[in-house]
Amino acid sequence: MIESHSRAEDSVPECLPDVGCITCSDEGVEMRALEVDAASGLAVCLDPEGSRSEVDLGIVTGVAPGDVVLVHAGVALTRLESEEAA
Amino acid sequence: MKFVDEFRDAELGQVLAGEILATVEPGRHYKIMEVCGGHTHSIYKYGIDDLLPANVELVHGPGCPVCVIPMGRVDDGIALAREPDVILTCFGDMMRIPGSDGSFLDAKAEGADIRMVYSPLDALRIARENPDRQVVFYAIGFETTAPSTALTLKRAKAEGIKNFSCMCSHVTIVPPLRALLDSPDLRLDGFIGPGHVSTVVGARPFEFISESYGKPVVVSGFEPLDVLQSIHMILSQLTEDRCTVENQYGRVVPYDGNLRALEVLSEVFELRPHFEWRGLGFISQSALRLSDAYADFDAEQRFTVPGVRVADPKACQCGEVLKGVIKPWECKVFGTACTPERPIGTCMVSPEGACAAYYNYGRFAREREVV
Repeated sequence: MIESHSRAEDSVPECLPDVGCITCSDEGVEMRALEVDAASGLAVCLDPEGSRSEVDLGIVTGVAPGDVVLVHAGVALTRLESEEAA
Repeated sequence: MKFVDEFRDAELGQVLAGEILATVEPGRHYKIMEVCGGHTHSIYKYGIDDLLPANVELVHGPGCPVCVIPMGRVDDGIALAREPDVILTCFGDMMRIPGSDGSFLDAKAEGADIRMVYSPLDALRIARENPDRQVVFYAIGFETTAPSTALTLKRAKAEGIKNFSCMCSHVTIVPPLRALLDSPDLRLDGFIGPGHVSTVVGARPFEFISESYGKPVVVSGFEPLDVLQSIHMILSQLTEDRCTVENQYGRVVPYDGNLRALEVLSEVFELRPHFEWRGLGFISQSALRLSDAYADFDAEQRFTVPGVRVADPKACQCGEVLKGVIKPWECKVFGTACTPERPIGTCMVSPEGACAAYYNYGRFAREREVV
């Protein structure tokens, strides 16, 4: 099991007008997978601001470290091209 | 930043704006609905409507899941949070949504243990860390968000976590669109289809709009060039008298969706017979509840919730805004009695709500000249 890097719930900011809904609605954040634990189906991913998050890979297959995934509410919705392949 | 910068190029934006201008027919008025609140946000944030000819009108649709939560469901959540030993977890967007007697934020200030989370995985972690407390995740969102709730419930079941449950207010995108299209006071020429919802369900479910209602649909990404290109694609269809579903967001959206996600959704959820949408009323089979296999995790079965329907405030015209019948600034209380700081209606609460987007980007004083 990957050590959880999730942000503490008390550090969650309120949604701000200039960033839109952080978690819900239809936002997707491109994140780079740093570590992947196939057994648990979880990955540690880095968002564009440099924060690490635990991401569920339950509906996307074949994610490897270095790949960029589109993350919504803690779940990778799809795998985007990896930097190497792009 | 990769996948972002190339879709914010200002020169390319001007080129697309020129192509749009060359495509529209003078004297013809075009009314296009962006279904998703994320698109509404992009349109205001990047001033996309300023790049459009005056006879191209954008109408804001019902695609903000926070905006469509009725007051009674907010009251139900607060009632749960006030149960002894309950920790209610929710996305930050829910905190300021007004119920009939205050918001989650008000209830938290009065002592209820309500915590904001980024994902249901965080809620499950809180449950693991607090085995003597009951942790309820207040789940909202369209098909984009529902997989995260479903996957978390699967984890909770696999791990045998007994103190975790879910109050499910997930909604589905197709039924409200059909209700809108059946609305007699609605006149639309085409739709900017929701991008990330389509990542899960695909573009195919929107084919009924072109086949049965004769309106073009273009599933769109969220960057400014995505939205401009999608508007151009819709206008091109109209000008060429074509009508189909096109996928502008092909770099992310598979036409048939994410089959694994759809499997997980069908395992964990089932359709509710009816669900009330703020401003739109009851819509058949438009929301999800937990399936029998996950009934043990259903907070509405584990606890007693009031389940009382509460009428929207009379002054609030969120329903007409959601249907695109009026623009946000045409609401009687917009920017006066209803502001993001003291919202009356849900469209003013969420940053993706049409009213909040208009208010925050200074469009409330603007009256667009329509040809």
